[in-house]
Amino acid sequence: MNFFRQHHFQSPEPIGIPRCLWYFLHPGLWEAFFCELGLPVVQSGATWRETIACAGLISEAEHCLPVKIHDAHLHQLAEAGVARVFVPRVLSTMPRHIACPKLGALPDCAIAQFGHRLSVVSVELDEARVGLRYSLLELAGTLGVRGSQARAAAEAGLAALAAQRRRWREQTGAMGEGSGRRILLLGHPYNLYDPYVSDPVTGKLRACGADFSLVDYTRSRVVPEPLKWDACSLMYNALRELQPSACAGVIQLSSFNCGCDSMAMEFYRDRLKRKGIPYMRLVLDEYEGRAGLDTRLEAFVDSIGW
Amino acid sequence: MARLAFEPWGNYSLALAASVECLGVEPWTSSSTTPEVLRLGVEATPDSACLSFKACTGHFVKAAQEGVEYGAMVNSTGTCRLRYYHLLQRQILRERGLRLFVFNVGYDGLKPPIVRHFDPDLPHFLQCCLRARLKVLTVDAIEGAAWRTRARELEPGATTRVMKQCLQELGQARTTRQIRAVRRRVGERFGTVSLAAGRSPLRVGLLGEAAVLRNRFLNHNLEEILGSLGVVPRNFFLLGEEIKNIFGVGLWSRHSRFTLKRLARPYLRSPVGGHAVESVGNAVACAREGYDGLIHVCPTGCMPEISVRPIIRKIGRDLDIPVLECSFDEHTSHVGVITRVEAFVDVMEQRRLRSGHHGKNGSSA
Repeated sequence: MNFFRQHHFQSPEPIGIPRCLWYFLHPGLWEAFFCELGLPVVQSGATWRETIACAGLISEAEHCLPVKIHDAHLHQLAEAGVARVFVPRVLSTMPRHIACPKLGALPDCAIAQFGHRLSVVSVELDEARVGLRYSLLELAGTLGVRGSQARAAAEAGLAALAAQRRRWREQTGAMGEGSGRRILLLGHPYNLYDPYVSDPVTGKLRACGADFSLVDYTRSRVVPEPLKWDACSLMYNALRELQPSACAGVIQLSSFNCGCDSMAMEFYRDRLKRKGIPYMRLVLDEYEGRAGLDTRLEAFVDSIGW
Repeated sequence: MARLAFEPWGNYSLALAASVECLGVEPWTSSSTTPEVLRLGVEATPDSACLSFKACTGHFVKAAQEGVEYGAMVNSTGTCRLRYYHLLQRQILRERGLRLFVFNVGYDGLKPPIVRHFDPDLPHFLQCCLRARLKVLTVDAIEGAAWRTRARELEPGATTRVMKQCLQELGQARTTRQIRAVRRRVGERFGTVSLAAGRSPLRVGLLGEAAVLRNRFLNHNLEEILGSLGVVPRNFFLLGEEIKNIFGVGLWSRHSRFTLKRLARPYLRSPVGGHAVESVGNAVACAREGYDGLIHVCPTGCMPEISVRPIIRKIGRDLDIPVLECSFDEHTSHVGVITRVEAFVDVMEQRRLRSGHHGKNGSSA
């Protein structure tokens, strides 16, 4: 076996990456990783009105909005003529935590729904058990790349991930920075960082002149109590450390039928009630009733000003 | 005597009541939720929570209003919302100023907090637990006989009457000998129901989320609706098997999690959570065993069951078995459920006729 040989794909078949849901859990990682492996990457377009309309038509009616959008992105890739897509099985993204159970069944659902049009490349991401680097090497192995090239790809992917997360942090700013009290926007990364989903809320807040920060996803060491779901636990811990002197209010951006949020919101509400911080939950669905959203945001910003 | 409330688990409630009695407390439960209890639950819980949580919380609120001191809630270490039920219920009851303490049962070592609190005499406690297990198995026997009989009964309601008698006797049975006697008489009792002669009835597997599968009020009495339409239902949440799975006994049985995982593997490679793997495994098993159809039952938005729904649909297509997807919430209309089930039964009848016409093997009961 030659450990020093560079692997070259004979005629590299492009790999499709749906730019939604799990993509925002590790932003920037996957395209850097596959490029370094020498595989051309085809990304689905950003979520748009047509994506949402398509999601409503082709996806299981009771899925939450992000999973519906994921189905629509896979459909878009299949329509674009991509023959294989990457869908990881995300079981955990933080030590001692678990991911939402829906993410664990995603590759199997992708095969069940799109198996006749797409082949699905997958890897198990369980950061509670093994590190992300190890999972990346395993993925490279399943694609037939081993040794230094795989390690270099993993390094490049992780560096891109760290860089993207840093960029996010700089863009959104942390609580306590700047002058005055800010509004904290809570939400899963795939809701907060998908411009189509979050722009109506962030745009309205800017229009109202409210200063806001997004919840910080760069941290990875939090206590898994009382919530064990990774993103929820991170949000809960952010609320635990929140100072009423620095925070004017908390808005939670949730998607319709999100199981995690339906339970976690009660824990957030209880915590914020004890701190005396106003809290509002906004539920987004595929029907795009923006007027109601605007009214509620205006009323919230008005009320915290008093 | 202190009282302990627990969630209604259909006919299993009377077996569970026996195990509560052995703790030295009086059980407070019923076999199914009532509209009033569900209303209390819906008022107390977040609107997007699952129906099982709403019903169960409503039950505890009602119990607390009636002065019950304790409640028991199943705890899980899994990925689904069940894990947080007891925490939220404690919070909800506290906020409403209700004094009912909810114990979490399960996965807390050999002596869980509930046993530590009541501290029953160990030999007596174990003996009672064995009796409760025997009651669970007897309930399974009674239900199995009722499913088979109801589909072919000549006088509507006769099976339900016999079933009620049997369950009443079982509820009154105190000793192991009495429980065994009830179990022996099950066949004889159901033998008194006069049956229509003719071809074998259609068979349908009920898969999905445990609480909705077992709570007649939440699933709008699916078993009786199917029975009255001449179909033999088979409910795949079996408490006896569930207990075996928890303790890892009987790995090779048809209903063990190990077997079902193996069957589900070509379609699902992740445990997901809840009873999702069991649902997928049972779907494959039912298709192979020649069932005429499957009904996938879950609360609206159930995290594990909804995630595997596209997979169950795919199994239906691959293994040529029709699947009816039923989600239930507090707004589900009873008439809507009946209409959907009737249409589904028509589909199965037609499929059977067509397969007979083509000379294929029709499924048999």
